[in-house]
Amino acid sequence: MSEMKEYSLPVPVKPPAEIESLELPVPPGLDEKATKGDEIVLFVGPQHGGSGHMRLIVRVHGDVIREVIPDPGFVHRGVEKLAENKLYIQNIPLVERPAIMDCVNFSLGYVRAIEQAMDIEVPERAKYIRTMLAEICRIGTHFYDAGILSVFLGHTTGFMWPFALRELACEVLMRVAGARITASYVVPGGVRRDVDNSTLNYIYEATTYIQRKAKDFERIFVRNPVTIARLKDVAALSKKEAIKYGIVGPFLRACGVEYDVRAVEPYDAYDELTWDVIVADEGDSYSRFLVRVNEIQQSISIIKQCVKALKDMPQGNIVSADIAGKKKAKEGEEKRGLDTVKGAFFRLFGRLTLPAGEYTTLTEAARGTLLYTIVSDGKSNAPYRLRVVTPGWCYLKGFMESLKGCRVADLQAVYGSFGYFPPEADR
Amino acid sequence: MKDVNAENIEFLGSGALAPVKKWGAKWSLWAVHLVTSCCGVELAHAYASGYDAERWGTLNFGMMRQTNLIIVEGTITKKMARALRITWEQMPDPKFVILIGACGIEGGLFWNSYHITRPWKIVPVDYFVPGCPPTPEGLISAVRALQKKIERGEARTTVDFKEADLAKILGTEAGKERKPPKPPLKIAEKPEIKIEPKEVDWEFGNQLVDKLRGKIPYAEVFTTNVNRIYIKTNAKFYKKVAKALESEGFDHVKSINVIDVLHENKFIVECSVSSYSVKELMPVIVTFAAEIDRNNPRIPSLTDIWLSADYQEREMHDFFGVWFEGNPNMGQKFLIAPEVETPLRKDFKLEEPSYVLEESK
Repeated sequence: MSEMKEYSLPVPVKPPAEIESLELPVPPGLDEKATKGDEIVLFVGPQHGGSGHMRLIVRVHGDVIREVIPDPGFVHRGVEKLAENKLYIQNIPLVERPAIMDCVNFSLGYVRAIEQAMDIEVPERAKYIRTMLAEICRIGTHFYDAGILSVFLGHTTGFMWPFALRELACEVLMRVAGARITASYVVPGGVRRDVDNSTLNYIYEATTYIQRKAKDFERIFVRNPVTIARLKDVAALSKKEAIKYGIVGPFLRACGVEYDVRAVEPYDAYDELTWDVIVADEGDSYSRFLVRVNEIQQSISIIKQCVKALKDMPQGNIVSADIAGKKKAKEGEEKRGLDTVKGAFFRLFGRLTLPAGEYTTLTEAARGTLLYTIVSDGKSNAPYRLRVVTPGWCYLKGFMESLKGCRVADLQAVYGSFGYFPPEADR
Repeated sequence: MKDVNAENIEFLGSGALAPVKKWGAKWSLWAVHLVTSCCGVELAHAYASGYDAERWGTLNFGMMRQTNLIIVEGTITKKMARALRITWEQMPDPKFVILIGACGIEGGLFWNSYHITRPWKIVPVDYFVPGCPPTPEGLISAVRALQKKIERGEARTTVDFKEADLAKILGTEAGKERKPPKPPLKIAEKPEIKIEPKEVDWEFGNQLVDKLRGKIPYAEVFTTNVNRIYIKTNAKFYKKVAKALESEGFDHVKSINVIDVLHENKFIVECSVSSYSVKELMPVIVTFAAEIDRNNPRIPSLTDIWLSADYQEREMHDFFGVWFEGNPNMGQKFLIAPEVETPLRKDFKLEEPSYVLEESK
C-alpha cells in the first residue's frame, strides 16, 4: 500500500472530554497524539452487535488499524471473590456462569481440582457421562460462536442454522440434567444422576441429525463465498506469534500448534477414545473458524463412542465410593458407589473440606484451555483462593495484536472469528 | 423521578391517532442489541429459528437510535451501568424495558458481588422475567405482556401468587421463637497456606526437578503432583527464575495468581508457566512463587520475558494492588470499575448471607 502524502489542516481539534471522565485504560497522551497526527481514535462498544460487551479503543490511520486497546470488565462479576465466600459445592453453579453454554466443561475443571485434592477415583460410567456431556457443550458452544460470527458478518441465515442445531444440545442437557443450559451436573466424585438408555438413544439420534445438518450448514455458510471473502487471510497470526501471545484452544491450533489438553494431559475418558486433534496452518480468521467446524465432527464421533460404551455398561454407580463414605467392600467385591446423589447431597458435599495445598487443573473448554487453581487452608469449607483463568482472557492479547494492520471493516469479522465472549473473559 | 413508563403509555393512548399509535408500537417492539450478560444465550434462542420471536413483531436490532425496547439480560456491572443508561437515554420515546434473569432483580447468584448493580435503579423497568437463565418462552411471554400493556393502557402481572401465612408455616404464631439455622460456612480464623512437596511416581518430572535444582540453586524446587512443579523463591530471584525457565523452553504464562495472607501480612505472587513448543513439556505446569510485603507490594513484571503475562498482571494489580515493576500500564484500572479498590484482598468484606427471615427490607 502506497503511503499518501499528508496535508496538515489548520483546524483546531480538541480531544473529547469523555476520554478523561471515562477513565479508560489507555496510555496517557494517546488522544492528543492521535488528534495531532492524522490518526483517529475510534471507540467500538460497549454497545455493539456481538454477544456480551467490551469496549475496543481503536487507533486508525485512514481505515487501517494501527493499534487496538481493550477495555474489558463490562461483565466482570467477581467470581473469584464470591467463591471464597461459598461452600465448595455451592461454587459449582457459580463457576459455570461465566460461559453458560459451555457449562459442563466449566464445572468439570473445578470439580476435577476438588477430586485431585481429595484423591477421588471417579467411576467409569460417570467418566463417560461427563465426557459425553462435555462434548455436547463443545458442539453447542461452537455453534453459538458460529451464529455470533454470522451476526457480525450480517448473515442472518448463518445465525438461524447453528442456533436451530443448538436447540438439540439444549434438549440433551434438559433430558440429562434438567436445565436447558445451566446443567450444574458434575459433582465431586461423579455426576448428579444417571442417564437411562432411552436418553442415550436420543443423544445418538440427535448427534446423527447434527452431523447431517452440519453438512448443510457448511454448504450454506462455511463454504459461502461471502464468508470466505470476509475471513480468508484476515488477521493472520504466525505460529511464533501465537505462542508469544499465549493464545489457547482452537485459535492456537489454527496457527499450527498441536496442543489440546484432552490429548496432552487426558482427563476423564479421553484417553480411552479415538479422535484427532484438528490443526490448521494458516492462522487467519477463516482457519480459526474452520478448526472449530471440524472439531464439531470430532466431538460427534466422541459422543457416539461414549454412547456405545455407556450402553454396554451396567446402570448405576455414578458417584464414587471414595466420597460416598462407604465402608470397605467385602472380599472379592469391587467398591461400589452410589447410584444417585438424591437424598445424600448434603451428607456428601455439605461439609466438604480439602486438605491444605494448591491444586491446579487444566481443562479443554470449547474456546480453549481453562485453568482452575484452588488454594485450600485445610480448615475452612470454602476455598481460600480460587483462581479461574478462562480461555477468553488468555487469547485477548492475541486477538488485539492480530487486528494490527487490518481494515476497520474487518474488526467485526475478526471479533467473531475469535468467538470472544466477554462474560467468559471477564468472569 | 417521573414515572416514565406511565408517560409512555399515556402518550400512546392520547389523541385521535391513539389506535394507530398503539397498533404501531405493539407490533414493532424492536430490542436494541445490548446483550449484557449470559442470559443473552437464551435471548438468542428466542430470536432464532427454534422459537422465532419475530412472529410477534419483535426483533433484535443493532443501533439504539432505531429501537424502542431494551431487553436487559441479567447482570449489570458497575462499569456497564453507565452504558445502559446512555443507551436508554438515546432511544426515541416511547420506549420500554424488559429485564430478564435473576441477576437483574436482586442479584441472583451474584447478589453480594462487589461489582454489580441493580438495573431497575438505573432504567425504569416494565416487566421482569425471573430465572437463571429464564427460558425463551419466559422472554416471549414478557414481550406478549408488554404488548397487552400497550393495548390496554395498563400493566397487569402475568402471574398471581397465592398469599401464604408465613407465621403459620414457620410455626411462629404461638410465641415460639424460631432459631435460625447455623450458617454452614466455616472459615478458619488464621489459615495457614502451605504448599508442600509430594513424592510422585513421575520419572520425567523428577529428572526435570533435578535439572532445575542445578540451574537455580537459590530456589526450592519440588513436585506437588504429577505434571505439577512448584518453585519457592523470593522477589529478588523472581525474575532470574523466570529467565531460567524461559531458557528451558517454557514459552507462555498460564496464570498469574496472588494469594493474600492477611494475618501474616504478606502476599504470595505465583506465576504458572508451560510450553507450547517443546512436546515433552506441554503437560507440565511450573509454578514459581515469591512472598512479598503486603504494605508495599512490589514485584518485577515478566512482560519482557513472556508477553502473555501482561493482562494477567494488570488484572492482579486491579484485584490486589500489587505493583508489577516494569509493566507500562500500572496505576490504571483495567478490568474493574474505577470506584472499586482492591476487592480481592481479604480485608475487603462482602455482605454476608442472612439466615433469618426479615419482615421486609
